[in-house]
Amino acid sequence: MGELLAQTALNALYAASYLSLVAVGLVLIFGVMGVINFAHGELFMLGAYGVVVFYADLQLSFFFAIAIGLVFVGLVGLGMERALFRPLRDNPLGGLVASIGFLMVLQALAAMGFGVRMEHVPPVTQQVISFSDKVHLAVPRLYVIIAAVVLLTALWAFLKKTQFGWALRASAQDPEAAALQGISINQTSRIAMFIGAGLAGVAGALTAPMVSVNPHMGHSVIVAAFIVIIVGGVGSLEGAVVAAVAYSLVHTFVTTFYDGVIADIVGLSLMLVVLIVKPTGLFGTADRA
Amino acid sequence: MLLEMKDASVNYGKVSAIRNISMSVPEGSVVTIIGANGAGKSTTLRALSGLASLRSGEISFNGKRIDKLAAHRIVGEGIAHVPEGRRIFPDLTVEENLRTGAFLRKDKKGIEADLESCFDHFPRLKERRRQLAKTMSGGEQQMLAIGRALMAKPKLLLMDEPSMGLAPIIVEEIARIIETINAQGITVILVEQNAELALGLATYAYVLETGNLALEGPADELHDNDHVRAAYLGV
Ligand SMILES: Nc1ncnc2c1ncn2[C@@H]1O[C@H](COP(=O)(O)OP(=O)(O)OP(=O)(O)O)[C@@H](O)[C@H]1O
Ligand SMILES: [Mg+2]
Repeated sequence: MGELLAQTALNALYAASYLSLVAVGLVLIFGVMGVINFAHGELFMLGAYGVVVFYADLQLSFFFAIAIGLVFVGLVGLGMERALFRPLRDNPLGGLVASIGFLMVLQALAAMGFGVRMEHVPPVTQQVISFSDKVHLAVPRLYVIIAAVVLLTALWAFLKKTQFGWALRASAQDPEAAALQGISINQTSRIAMFIGAGLAGVAGALTAPMVSVNPHMGHSVIVAAFIVIIVGGVGSLEGAVVAAVAYSLVHTFVTTFYDGVIADIVGLSLMLVVLIVKPTGLFGTADRA
Repeated sequence: MLLEMKDASVNYGKVSAIRNISMSVPEGSVVTIIGANGAGKSTTLRALSGLASLRSGEISFNGKRIDKLAAHRIVGEGIAHVPEGRRIFPDLTVEENLRTGAFLRKDKKGIEADLESCFDHFPRLKERRRQLAKTMSGGEQQMLAIGRALMAKPKLLLMDEPSMGLAPIIVEEIARIIETINAQGITVILVEQNAELALGLATYAYVLETGNLALEGPADELHDNDHVRAAYLGV
């Protein structure tokens, strides 16, 4: 039993890692631009297809494929900022609707380019770390955990220690007052969109060898990410990470001991309970929600 | 003239907020804009700092047209705006708030020196430098908003109702701070509902009524004007 618990905890840690990367990007984009990016799951999907193309098909190095995923998906994010969210800046609902439209475009493009079949990405390595007979951690999963810790720490340092990090937080808190300090909202929006999209791309790329890659794979991720940012308190980066860990623990344990559908129901119920008890989310303030 | 506003009009949608306002602000002066609620005082400042765009008219600063510039560019020209309601960044620390004020500056040494002199002016900000801005009192937040604007090293400081909601003793302190700022050569445009305070500090004053310029003149003359006394000084 103890071993099963330990194994499930490791699985949850893995799930929390990629979910944090997705959710934190979503929160960053919402914080700075005030728009909910429904296409975020599709950015995750694009990152995964980056690995299909560059690693599985072209046989380039896995880490190179991930770097391309980061940059390419980040650039798609920049394009979205320029073409969708900037023209609709004073219209948050418009931005949301545009992102839903774009989500469908990306899914259709992926289906046209790759078909709707599941792509199987060959494992990066078969190595497994064994803690005991029954407790294992596959090394590709460890990569995801390491990447999440490294990238989220880097993001934290960027936000707290650099001038552009302050600028980003300032314009998330009060865009007009930020403009009065010389901070361009276009610039902070670009930075937020590049980072947010890039993180989703990296998460998709890293998990690609462990899931079946298909044009609709963004769906389950975005649902989980929405639950996570609502529970964490929309607008709170720390909240997103904590909630991602909490949600993944609950979801993984319930999946292991009961089944996946019940886990989804429990996850949603948890969100409802948090919304009833603390409508601004665990770490949220009323400011922007 | 450091700043000239000519026939400026601003609309919010179809609603006109100010109409044909002209102002001249000489370098080194303290000029005040007084008026009742909704008269258009904040709108005038917002037009100057680029937060509101002109429907007609023009603004020049230091001989250069600035009315088409975005707000984040106007700071770089040397105009800092302490907005109505302070608008500090609540979840940034006091020091981070101050440093955002210097966002466009490249002179690292100058920034550090100005941060120190800001802490000399406002010792309470120094004590609280690592504290989140939202945890501070109203008066401290107003000082932070002023300090943040000064960190931009402005030639012209726009202040929108710095005395709002503050205890009389703090208002006195703010008045002294404005005098000190001006003594350092920074030109000030002060918007106030507290006309007594404003006319005491300013050399020249404009009176706005429902979006129109109703009166203007040297502050001491307006202080003795019957209409101003009845409408704004409550005597
Ligand atoms: N964002 C806005 N949208 C629509 N109308 C506005 C907006 N801001 C101000 N107004 C209107 O424009 C007019 C001028 O407002 P403004 O805020 O400039 O007045 P004010 O003199 O600063 O008043 P107060 O002393 O209350 O701050 C008012 O009639 C106000 O209702
Ligand atoms: Mg006002």
